[in-house]
Amino acid sequence: MFQRTWAVMQKEFIQTFRDRRTLRIMLALPLIQLLLFAYAININVSHVPTIVSDQSMDTASRAFLDALTTSDYFDVVATAPSQAQVIRAIDEGRAQVGVVIPPDFASHVTREDAQALILVDGSDLFTSQSAYNAATAIARGHATQIVLRKLERTGLAPEGQRYLPLDTRVRILYNPDLKDLWFLIPGMIATILQIQTVTLTAVAVVREREVGTIEQLLVTPIRPGELLIGKIAPNMIIALVNMLTILALGVYWFRVPFQGSFGLFFALALLYVCAGLGLGLLVSTISQNQRQVQQLNGMIMLLGLLLSGFIFPRAAMPAAIRWVGNLFPLTYFIPIARGIITKGTSYEYLRSQVLALVVYVVLIMALAVRAFRQRLD
Amino acid sequence: MRKRAGRLAALIRKETIQLLRDRRTLAFILVLPMLELFLFAYAIRLTVDHLPTTVADMSRDAQSRALIEALVESKYFDVRAYVDSQADVVRALDSNQAKVGIVIPPDFAAHVARGDAQALVLLDGSDSFSVSSGYSAAVSVAQARALELASEKAKRMGIELHQTPITTSTRVLYNPDMSDLIFILPGLVALLLQMLAVLTTAQSVVREYELGTIEQLMATPARPLELIVGKLVPNLLFMLIVLAMTMLAGVFWFGVPFQGNPWLFAWLSLLFVWCGLGLGLLISTVARTQREAQQLTAMLSMVSMLLTGFIYPRAPMPTVIRLIGDLIPLTYFVRIARGIITKGIGLTFLWTDVIALLVYGIGILLFAATTAKKRLG
Repeated sequence: MFQRTWAVMQKEFIQTFRDRRTLRIMLALPLIQLLLFAYAININVSHVPTIVSDQSMDTASRAFLDALTTSDYFDVVATAPSQAQVIRAIDEGRAQVGVVIPPDFASHVTREDAQALILVDGSDLFTSQSAYNAATAIARGHATQIVLRKLERTGLAPEGQRYLPLDTRVRILYNPDLKDLWFLIPGMIATILQIQTVTLTAVAVVREREVGTIEQLLVTPIRPGELLIGKIAPNMIIALVNMLTILALGVYWFRVPFQGSFGLFFALALLYVCAGLGLGLLVSTISQNQRQVQQLNGMIMLLGLLLSGFIFPRAAMPAAIRWVGNLFPLTYFIPIARGIITKGTSYEYLRSQVLALVVYVVLIMALAVRAFRQRLD
Repeated sequence: MRKRAGRLAALIRKETIQLLRDRRTLAFILVLPMLELFLFAYAIRLTVDHLPTTVADMSRDAQSRALIEALVESKYFDVRAYVDSQADVVRALDSNQAKVGIVIPPDFAAHVARGDAQALVLLDGSDSFSVSSGYSAAVSVAQARALELASEKAKRMGIELHQTPITTSTRVLYNPDMSDLIFILPGLVALLLQMLAVLTTAQSVVREYELGTIEQLMATPARPLELIVGKLVPNLLFMLIVLAMTMLAGVFWFGVPFQGNPWLFAWLSLLFVWCGLGLGLLISTVARTQREAQQLTAMLSMVSMLLTGFIYPRAPMPTVIRLIGDLIPLTYFVRIARGIITKGIGLTFLWTDVIALLVYGIGILLFAATTAKKRLG
């Protein structure tokens, strides 16, 4: 049995390494992707283009605007005389945030009924969210300052002492400076690896079927399981090379600290790669032609990207959708990658994910072999 | 001229027959985008609330309980467990049982009375979403609580203190309830459409190359440009059906309001789909095997998802990365789709993107035609 598997492996290795051009593409693409996306993605939005309509032009309105702009969140790109023009600027896309301060702001502040209006462009996802949060927080902070200054004037608390009786410190574990790349790189490595592994094996069987060589393979004494294992082997090596190169790029070029055990990560990545290759094989056996493979593959990629927790948090998804996400190995590997790389988690906290991956690999291979047998009859 | 039209009609008929014959692929083309639309529309939630929280309350007095209650009432935090020490809280974060930890030191009430109470909030820094929503929620809840305490104290000393001298009302234009679906849907429909357009053409041409039937086509008097147009037209019609289906589902099932002119949107979608088909064609003339085409389209869809402004804002990206995003038609169409569907604006504000798409559509077609000629010559 081993001999037969070995023979298939040899054939696959020769086939893979003969096509130098495809091999180069397969080795280079993951690196290019990581480079591109690591530079591109910026989670913390700042310097949002802002248009201001200050109809008071007094000290209170200026202080309020200063509080907004010194935060780095908002860059004033233009001023306008009226609210209508502010909205027009947002319609045109010249600004994404508008601040409207009505006349007599200072006297309203003394009377404690001042109102300012902040308009946010609601067509852009991240920007509107962060602008909304930032604007609300800054405005509230500014209002608190005014209250405190008033409190100070009444002589209620001696100068130099804190007026707020309660102070909250927030500490962010594992990523104290909130570096984007520390968030992104582990998930991105996992995502790129899944896309790569599924794509690698997805054409394996279909191609033989389309070209007609599958018949030749079937008249040999090779069994379906042996054939599939043989097909996985060279792809596994390519995927592992991919894993090491993108990890090295992340750690040495983008300086993302690797907190946990590399040995553990490597072992689990191996398992993960097997799961991805198995998924590709399954796609390959149930498809009739490469066109269908392509469609299914595209869908797996999209689903993986959006449902696995890489971009959007899984905790907020409905249970049924979370279940769909469970069909992809990426969902299990993202907590592993984040755990080992960012948190330095040890094996005992990852046991359930590892177990899930093991079950996944066994199941998916069994399914692929079964589907393959059925297709032959 | 009439002869040419006849040739073109024959080619279009051939492609349509080929497309309609492969029933399973056809079903994929029609069903997968709808399936994806439904999954994602339910899956993508941007604001994360009910974060699993572990609390170490070492005071257990009225003040500490009031603070915890205020945090729970904000709906952002769900207290899952009470533990005894800060070390236990960190362990809960390490093991992924909690995303947020709250530590209240002993004698909290006494410290509040003296005005120097401190509470500690710990956040899981490996998950960017929990951090961003957890951070602002924790800070603002604690601040509000502190201000409340301060004004209570002032009141006891006979000073009436208005808590907010300035109220800011923040209005999110086009999307007043910040509904995730309104953010996501226009871009999502555009993304699905582009992926489908690229996939179907890329596959159909590469297949002709691999099977060798392209030689037969070239032996006919049809010119390369005619061949290309003949391939695009039936696909274009299919894409429009998919577009209509997804848009109708978005508007009628998910209740996303369509603010702008539907006819303008339909015409511009046609232009956009044309560009997508052209891009698929280009990939097919560059790629030599279906495997390469597979890799390139996979890369393209990752790039489309992350660099075009569909998810992450383009403004903070470095210029080089933005230029790469400019190579993809989705970049222009995301702005158009959001502009027409969400903002309800017209050509006056969108003409730059429309011209860009026009130039793109013509340019990519000519480019694909010349590369095809070179490859065959």
